[in-house]
Amino acid sequence: MPEPSVVLIEDEPQIRRFLRATLTGQGYRLFEATTGADGIVEVGSRQPDVVVVDLGLPDMDGLEVIRQLREWTDVPVIVLSARGEERDKVTALDAGADDYVSKPFSAGELLARIRVALRHTAGASHEADAATFEVGELQVDLLHRRVFVGEQEVRLTPIEYKLLTTLVRHAGKVVTHQQLLREVWGPVHTDQAHYVRVYMAHLRHKLEAEPARPRYLLTEPGVGYRLAAD
Amino acid sequence: MTEEPSRQKRRIPARWRAGYIQAIAAVAGATVVSRVLFALVAPANLTMTYLLAIVVIAARYGRGPSIVAVLASVAAFDFFFVPPYLTFVVTDTQYLLTFAVMLTVGLVIGSLTARIRRQAEAAEQRERRTAALYAMSRELAQAGATDQLVAIAGRHIAEVFGADVTIHLGEDVGDDEVEAVCLPLLGHGGGLGVVRVRPRRRHTLVGLEPRRQLETFVNQTALALERARLADEAREARVGAETERLRSSLLSSVSHDLRTPLATITGAVSTILEGGDRLDARTRTELLESVRDEAERLNRLVQNLLQMTRLASRALQVRREWHPLEEVIGAALRRLATALAGHKVIVNVPPDLPLVALDDVLIEQVLVNLLDNAAKYTPAGSLIRVIATATDHKLTVEVSDHGPGLPPGEEERVFDKFYRATPQARRGAGLGLAICRGIVEAHGGRIWAQNLPEGGVAFLFTLPVSGTQPAAVPADA
Repeated sequence: MPEPSVVLIEDEPQIRRFLRATLTGQGYRLFEATTGADGIVEVGSRQPDVVVVDLGLPDMDGLEVIRQLREWTDVPVIVLSARGEERDKVTALDAGADDYVSKPFSAGELLARIRVALRHTAGASHEADAATFEVGELQVDLLHRRVFVGEQEVRLTPIEYKLLTTLVRHAGKVVTHQQLLREVWGPVHTDQAHYVRVYMAHLRHKLEAEPARPRYLLTEPGVGYRLAAD
Repeated sequence: MTEEPSRQKRRIPARWRAGYIQAIAAVAGATVVSRVLFALVAPANLTMTYLLAIVVIAARYGRGPSIVAVLASVAAFDFFFVPPYLTFVVTDTQYLLTFAVMLTVGLVIGSLTARIRRQAEAAEQRERRTAALYAMSRELAQAGATDQLVAIAGRHIAEVFGADVTIHLGEDVGDDEVEAVCLPLLGHGGGLGVVRVRPRRRHTLVGLEPRRQLETFVNQTALALERARLADEAREARVGAETERLRSSLLSSVSHDLRTPLATITGAVSTILEGGDRLDARTRTELLESVRDEAERLNRLVQNLLQMTRLASRALQVRREWHPLEEVIGAALRRLATALAGHKVIVNVPPDLPLVALDDVLIEQVLVNLLDNAAKYTPAGSLIRVIATATDHKLTVEVSDHGPGLPPGEEERVFDKFYRATPQARRGAGLGLAICRGIVEAHGGRIWAQNLPEGGVAFLFTLPVSGTQPAAVPADA
């Protein structure tokens, strides 16, 4: 299998330089574009495994790049965005982005997001095989619908289980409140974000050793949740 | 008071009619008295009785009835007391002189008395309006805002002059109406607006006097508006000066706080670049770690600055949604994982806390600032506690540490912008707690600090728990 390829759409030369060092150092093939328009062309011609887009580009809004990409490709898109702009992140995720990293970010964070994105692309082909999900002490047996923390089996209500498996399906990726509401409660309840929070609290109390300092069910304030993947 | 002008108007014809009847009655009375006195005094002196009646009528009912009284008096005198009696025929021509004098004196007395009466009425009216003007001035003096002033002036002018009043400020002068009287509100620096007075009854504003009085009212209003405008300007100037002061202390504070970590970063990185292979791996790692820590600090500083600017410009939007507090605390702890790594953190959040309507991003920021402070000002390895408690009305979050505490008496001042507990206190632009206060107050809560008897300091903030919890979450089996 050849090294995975990444198209990076970013206008800041310093950030490109740092990501070039990081990504090529980790064995990725990197293609760079400094404008949204070039980036879209680059994605078309290189057919990368992952696209990394900065939301603030000189020629067009990063959101527009995502929307245009989503018209013809499912390639995972990771957004680079500043902290404090949670609305933008949610909008980007709604527009079809897969995940985001808040600037300033560490190389480790971005690499982790890219790994998760690659895993999901790879997993899509043999999802049925993934009968269990494991992270730390948490183990979800998707085949027999059983959940364990360590040796201990945990009883979940149907909604709790559905919420957990939805997060498992997106393990490592951020999932917005809207997305969870839609997938767990259906399209009618999308304005009741507190449903998710209440059930998330239930889940934490059942699965986490210290619910106020979760190890698995992580909160992304203003955006949604992320199930730790490693 | 509103109905007075109209009531007066309605009464006048009736009073006038009564006046004429009274005039006739008075003359009849005078005739009876004269008849009694007829045997005792000279006929010429009987005219005095009639003059008395004329004075009384003139004083009470004014000009018209007094003229009627004069004419009736002359006629009655002629008829009853001038021979031949009981006819209007006059044989003795000297009586013609008596008639002429009686007529002249009667008319002069009548008109003089009537004028005095009119003047007295005018004085009374003036006094009433002066009192009204005084009442308006007093109310205007107590009001501050321009719209209040406009409302008060409009109400008073409408009451006193029995008119519909509209006050237009600025360039807008309102629609032109034929019926209305327009008076400019003149301030020191030019026109402030226009007062448009439309009397509910005609003639209310006819004549010099009412117009002059109306002008006085309008001028008084203009003065009050001018005063309000000047006060506004003064306040704006003060705010401007305060903003300027803040900006300059922000600049000095920020440039210091930006330079310190930048110096560390530049120094550490150049050491690595120039030191090359002579640096051992441990030193290199240490230098790089300090670069990372300082960069994170810079990031937090920028975040705080941004938030402060939003708070100051009131551009901070609070997006309240229902949250379990536990979740927000968890997010803050995760964000500060590196900074808190050297401390022991104990979290105590009861599982049955109610949901709170809060902006998670902002409250996370409050917790991050409080925890960051706790980590910064206390020795490594010491304990930091996060405790949440709830009552019916509010939820209280406490972040306490075992550090040196605050200088006594400074518990309130730490929330001021650019405050530092000690002048040489390390790091931070002194904005963190000011931001916390801004955010908590925007949520309708309160934040304060208290030194703990066993040492260290506790920062507490409350968030109101509204009576209505969100729509119940559907239960599942």
